[in-house]
Amino acid sequence: MVKAYVVFGGLVLAALTWTHYTGWGPSDVTEQKVKSVRNNPGSYRSAYGGRSYTGAK
Amino acid sequence: MACGNCGAVLDAADPEHQLIAQYEANRVAPGIPLGTRGTIGGQTYEVIGYLVRKVVKEPYTWSEYLLHNPIHGQRWLVEYHGHWTLTRLAPGVPKVKKKVARYEEVDYRHFQTAKAELVAVVGEFPWTPRIGEKAVVEDYIAPPRMLSVERSQQESTWSTAEHVEGAVVWKAFGLPGRPPTRIGVGAAQPSPYAGVGRPMFLLFSSFLALAVLVQLVFAVFSQQRLVADLNGEYRPGTSDAAQVISEPFALSGRTSNVMVEISTNAANSWVYFTLTLVNEDTGVAKTFGREVGLYSGRDSDGFWSEGANWDRAYLPSVVSGSYVLLVEPEGPHAMHWRVRLTRDVPRPLWLWLALGALLLPPAIFLWRRAAFENQRWSESDQASSDGDDD
Repeated sequence: MVKAYVVFGGLVLAALTWTHYTGWGPSDVTEQKVKSVRNNPGSYRSAYGGRSYTGAK
Repeated sequence: MACGNCGAVLDAADPEHQLIAQYEANRVAPGIPLGTRGTIGGQTYEVIGYLVRKVVKEPYTWSEYLLHNPIHGQRWLVEYHGHWTLTRLAPGVPKVKKKVARYEEVDYRHFQTAKAELVAVVGEFPWTPRIGEKAVVEDYIAPPRMLSVERSQQESTWSTAEHVEGAVVWKAFGLPGRPPTRIGVGAAQPSPYAGVGRPMFLLFSSFLALAVLVQLVFAVFSQQRLVADLNGEYRPGTSDAAQVISEPFALSGRTSNVMVEISTNAANSWVYFTLTLVNEDTGVAKTFGREVGLYSGRDSDGFWSEGANWDRAYLPSVVSGSYVLLVEPEGPHAMHWRVRLTRDVPRPLWLWLALGALLLPPAIFLWRRAAFENQRWSESDQASSDGDDD
């Protein structure tokens, strides 16, 4: 039991270090390839553009 | 001397072997046959007697084997629900105070007191056993040891016992098959969790300290650099601040996160932000949405509020490069907003999750140890008491 805890604790600490180092985390980010925004700002609309949000109160 | 075949009890001290009693209804077959020899506790013994006792008016029954060695004398091998103890007479009398018996520098906790009755007997004994013979038995435990006192009208006899595995007994006497299956936890059965509590606690403390240290190291050495700070006025139905694009900014260093902080002056309203972080070098856009909303008022219970007009989120694993941020607010009311991006921020959430994960095994260990002890003490007079064997 103690040995298993040593291994488990080591893995948790390694995971903590790794997440901090890489900045990893769960997210609901949508990724897509776009053309230059700086040269033509109006050309880009976000993935959410165009829909009407009706959430909240 | 009690005969296993006819149930007769004879007085061996009498040259005529006078028949004292006959208990045909109480004939028994010992699990370890009389006459069997075996080495247990470092000594060779022969099984010369066997008796069965039960708690008066209770369904608890146990067996006792009388072992004999011409040099070392007698021992008792006691079996209850597959749990075995090797017992010998205690030299000296333990001191009993407040349900704790102290003997040879060891404290034994009171386990149970019962009135026991002899219900079956076979073999030779140093006294003349009689069916129905009663005695009050008190057990005190300090697993794997046990201290018992048997009080009859004539005398009080203290004995010490030590837990023995059934497999050891079977091997010692060369018995075929397997020992009786264990039921529950024996009074003197050593806990598999004994002695583990301290190392577990020390390990948890060490892991806790290391986790906090990791957090501190990243808190000190992470960039935590403000890379973008945008603000604007939003008016619904107009083009005012409907879409704001930042000046290009650099995200440097290793791949790490970006913290996004949104603040507004929204009151009794909501705002939904569509945020897009565009990597100018690769053309990859990360789009995500965040909502803020703050409501408050007064009712019969007084002031109330719900939600917040600010928000914080983390964009994970953002590679270095030149970026722009696109902000698109949306909501029913006009308001002022501000969005700030900070590069490489250690999230406190990971520390809390790590601490939770590190706490889990000790918590499971404590729960299982308590469950084991509860099972042990459920057989005692103090069933509601929790044992602590550490």
